[in-house]
Amino acid sequence: MSPELIRIIIEATIDTLHMVLVAGGLGTLFGLPLGVFLATSKRDELFPAPALNTVLGVVVNITRSTPFIILVVAIVPFTRLIAGTSIGTAAAIVPLTVAATPFIARIVEGAIREVDQGLVEAARAMGATPLQIVRKVLVPEALPAIVLGLTLAAVSLLGFSAMVGAVGGGGLGDLGIRYGYQRFMPEVMAIVVAVLVILVQSVQTFGDALARRLNKRLRHA
Amino acid sequence: MTAAVALSSASLDGATKLASVPQDARREEAAITLAGVGKTYAARDGAAEVSALHDIHLAVPRGRILGVIGPSGAGKSTLIRLVNGLERPTRGRIALFGRDVTALDESGWRRERRRIGMIFQHFNLLSSRTAFDNIALPLEIAGVSRGEIETRVTKLLELVGLTDKRLRYPAELSGGQKQRVGIARALATEPAILLCDEATSALDPDTTRSILQLLKRINRELGVTILLITHEIPVIKEICDEVAVIEDGRIIEAGPVFDVLTRPAHATTARFVEGVTSVELPAHLRAALRSEPFPASLAVLRIGFAGPHAATPVISRLSTTLGLDINILAGRIDAIGEQPFGSLIVAAPGDIASLGATLAALHVLGLRVEQLGFIAAPPAMPARSPCEEVSDVA
Repeated sequence: MSPELIRIIIEATIDTLHMVLVAGGLGTLFGLPLGVFLATSKRDELFPAPALNTVLGVVVNITRSTPFIILVVAIVPFTRLIAGTSIGTAAAIVPLTVAATPFIARIVEGAIREVDQGLVEAARAMGATPLQIVRKVLVPEALPAIVLGLTLAAVSLLGFSAMVGAVGGGGLGDLGIRYGYQRFMPEVMAIVVAVLVILVQSVQTFGDALARRLNKRLRHA
Repeated sequence: MTAAVALSSASLDGATKLASVPQDARREEAAITLAGVGKTYAARDGAAEVSALHDIHLAVPRGRILGVIGPSGAGKSTLIRLVNGLERPTRGRIALFGRDVTALDESGWRRERRRIGMIFQHFNLLSSRTAFDNIALPLEIAGVSRGEIETRVTKLLELVGLTDKRLRYPAELSGGQKQRVGIARALATEPAILLCDEATSALDPDTTRSILQLLKRINRELGVTILLITHEIPVIKEICDEVAVIEDGRIIEAGPVFDVLTRPAHATTARFVEGVTSVELPAHLRAALRSEPFPASLAVLRIGFAGPHAATPVISRLSTTLGLDINILAGRIDAIGEQPFGSLIVAAPGDIASLGATLAALHVLGLRVEQLGFIAAPPAMPARSPCEEVSDVA
């Protein structure tokens, strides 16, 4: 294998990591509060706003049910508005973030809803404000489940990032298609797949370990 | 519409009741006062309107322990949550230390709740926090400084006997230890009132006893007024000064624990009390019981002791004054607070003259006597030599 090819593979890996990390980070930034809101805004909950809850729920569902490749094309004008272009790694981050946000929001919502309502009641009985309940009770108690969910989201983003290669996004997916498929270089395809497998495995192992560390529920005296 | 009308009339009613307390009696004001409190959950989602509490009048005196007992679904949980505003009454007034809190808004209630501790059946500790950090939570919420938290939590851990579990997570603690953390957490803001929601229902009998003793100590030493709800009469008997019995959302009986437990006026109360205060005839004797006397039969009597006569040596007095053999078949002597009470089932000679004399003597002592029936005199005990007894013991 030529040094040139190795350089290309390393660059593509960095591009992929760049897209996944930035989109994952932004998706968490938007998805976490959205998920907390979805989990706490039904009737009789901490921030009751049932109408807004329903509307946001529908928006999240629409985004999540749109196939990613169609989402990428459908929001091109929006991507241009944000990134100034619709081609390249920076531009690919926009649809990746748009796909990751509702995904993460649902994960966070589920994790928060799993928190024992008795803890919320105990915190209310202490005189906690709704925001204090979120910060000091709901999020810390849901954290192990949220971390596992974010791991899942990161793995999905790796898959999605390979797809943005199809629309000029760069990264490992792009490399696999252009070299491995279009130029008939099966060894490149094999390397791309191998790198993706290693990445997924690493992310999963790290996420599992972190969630286990955070989970204090399974310890025994 | 009708609900609104009813509400306003009830509030007027409640207000006059509270206002009628004379000014000089303020010092003696109850810690918690519920006056004509009702709670109705509005109908919705196709579910019918649910009426949880009706016309509750309850006063918990300062520094005392009042227990509310009732079967599940009687409205106990709703009742206790009215006192810290987790539930709002649909009618009536609520006052804490003479101050009307019925109309407080949520932020007013948040301030109020910092002076009211609460512990729960399932402890409700944060699994992500150590014992120390769980106890620190209410202080963090109240904005207490880090240094002050350190001092106070250390003291509280000592108070509940968990100094060595300071950095343990709830998953590493036993049920009793978890409830101790819960109690320390509830006391962190130095509340004047402690609410206990079935605090020992998830614990085994030994642990229950030690938690109840801790609660009693807190009540005596810190002067914290305690309102607890339970479905277990031993909890009432063990630590409460006063009891209220609740059924179908109404208080059907209330008063000092000794009076209610030894002389229950209501069938539900009697059913609760049965297990702890009354005594049953052993099954083989119950089977042999006849309603009419027969030659050489013994009369079976249940004697109830309560109050001043509980300490009188009744049986020996009967034997000595009447010259009768009294045989004890079953019995239980117990105490509520410092006051002894109990009941004995005895067999006394069943002929009319002896029985009449026995009943008269018991009546003079002011004891409650119930005639259960007649049994045959037991066969004489087989004679045993002292040697045999010694070998039995060995």
